[in-house]
Amino acid sequence: MKRGWILILTLALSLTACGGSKNSGAELTVFAAASLQETLTEIGENYQREHPGVTLVFNFDSSGTLKTQIEEGADCDIFISAGQKQMNQLDAAAASAVNADAPDETAEDSLNFIASNTRFNLLENKVALVVPEGNPAGIQNFGGLKTALEAGDVLLAMGNEDVPVGQYTQKIFAYFGLDEAALNAAGVLTYGSNVKEVTTQVSEGTVDCGIIYGTDAFSAGLTVVDTATAEMCGQVIYPAAALKNSKSPEEAQAFLDYLRTPAAGAVLEAVGFTPLG
Amino acid sequence: MDWFPLYNSIRIAAVSTVLVFFLGVFAAQAIARAPRLVKGVLDVVLTLPLVLPPTVVGWLLLLALGPRRPLGSWFLEAFGLRLAMTWQSGVFAAVAVSFPLMYRTARGAFESFDQTLAQAGRTLGLSNFYIFWRVQMPVCRQGILAGTVLAFARALGEYGATSMLAGYTPGRTATVSTTVYQLWRTGQDALAFRWVLVNLGISAAVLLAVNLLERKEGRSWP
Repeated sequence: MKRGWILILTLALSLTACGGSKNSGAELTVFAAASLQETLTEIGENYQREHPGVTLVFNFDSSGTLKTQIEEGADCDIFISAGQKQMNQLDAAAASAVNADAPDETAEDSLNFIASNTRFNLLENKVALVVPEGNPAGIQNFGGLKTALEAGDVLLAMGNEDVPVGQYTQKIFAYFGLDEAALNAAGVLTYGSNVKEVTTQVSEGTVDCGIIYGTDAFSAGLTVVDTATAEMCGQVIYPAAALKNSKSPEEAQAFLDYLRTPAAGAVLEAVGFTPLG
Repeated sequence: MDWFPLYNSIRIAAVSTVLVFFLGVFAAQAIARAPRLVKGVLDVVLTLPLVLPPTVVGWLLLLALGPRRPLGSWFLEAFGLRLAMTWQSGVFAAVAVSFPLMYRTARGAFESFDQTLAQAGRTLGLSNFYIFWRVQMPVCRQGILAGTVLAFARALGEYGATSMLAGYTPGRTATVSTTVYQLWRTGQDALAFRWVLVNLGISAAVLLAVNLLERKEGRSWP
């Protein structure tokens, strides 16, 4: 019995010892919007093949969650957000300069985490209205969605107000004169904590429709019935930047530069992103 | 402050506890008498949800109950009932994760039940049904009660499987635990903290009730 415990302890200790011994070169931790999961993973594989000394570690989640994790002191070298708001909340210096066209999104509680000189707008995405296979609720477009929501006979999955896609959805509500509080009272909205959760709820058919990005709809093979115009929710811009306390700033800058190359752009374009870099 | 999540949590926990009480007691009774091999296999299967992460339980439930999955689509076609994204989905999730607690404590109690009492009953011509409910259950009530309370508390605090199967729909599927998460996610810390206090209050009340019941038991039971 005693020997058994010693064996288990030794095993546990040797497991913890294994953890840190692998990487020889630089390790870059990239926090990126969940909607970039497929494309950035592919770009990362290409990049690591060309730069064997660099190991990329990705953390894909809602930009709001990532922003919170960075504020809480998570180890991160590069942040790619699905909205200017989350980036501005971490970037005290550049808030007004980069985002002059959207004065309502100025940073209120800015914390100085972003190396502002590395920040640029990486790409543009589209917000899409998607339905499960067979479109059980018969939603044809945003106008039809408004009617169905007001009638109370539909269940719409959307990101919560901390998730960029949730904020774009709220802008669409405002454009169509829909009151979110009233819709909540009618129980027609269900909230996901990132865009992939909303995507899964639609593809599993647990909801009647969802508002996600065109690229996520493409990756998941979902039917897009309508795409939001710039009048409905503004432009959907993804900014990227390195963090101030990055341990490998040169490698971080090199990867950010790579994201602007035609090779990376082609991967982004393949699923429907519009590269801006 | 909208009290719906509290009402919904208690509703889900209450319904699932009633279901789990009967399911757990009958499973425990059946398995306590089963042959050794069957007992060993079934015991592992029935206890699995206790040790599996709730997210795994939630995913497995979704694989069975989702509207595009076998059981879920059948229910949708036959009865027009959606098994995911409703408050009843929360009941499925709560039953799955709290069942092992009821089952294991009940089984432990039944195994220590003195079978000579049951035999004495049989010599008096009592039915097995009568012996089970009027002799075995009262003798084992300590274990049964503990299992029920544990199952209720677990159901009340269930988060992982619930968030996957029932989602977060304000006023429909929101529970205390999913509300706390959602409020924290959206930066409404003050409100989240109030719900945390509510949660602490309920949990303390449940534990206090258990202690009081136990003390009362101690006095009336020789």
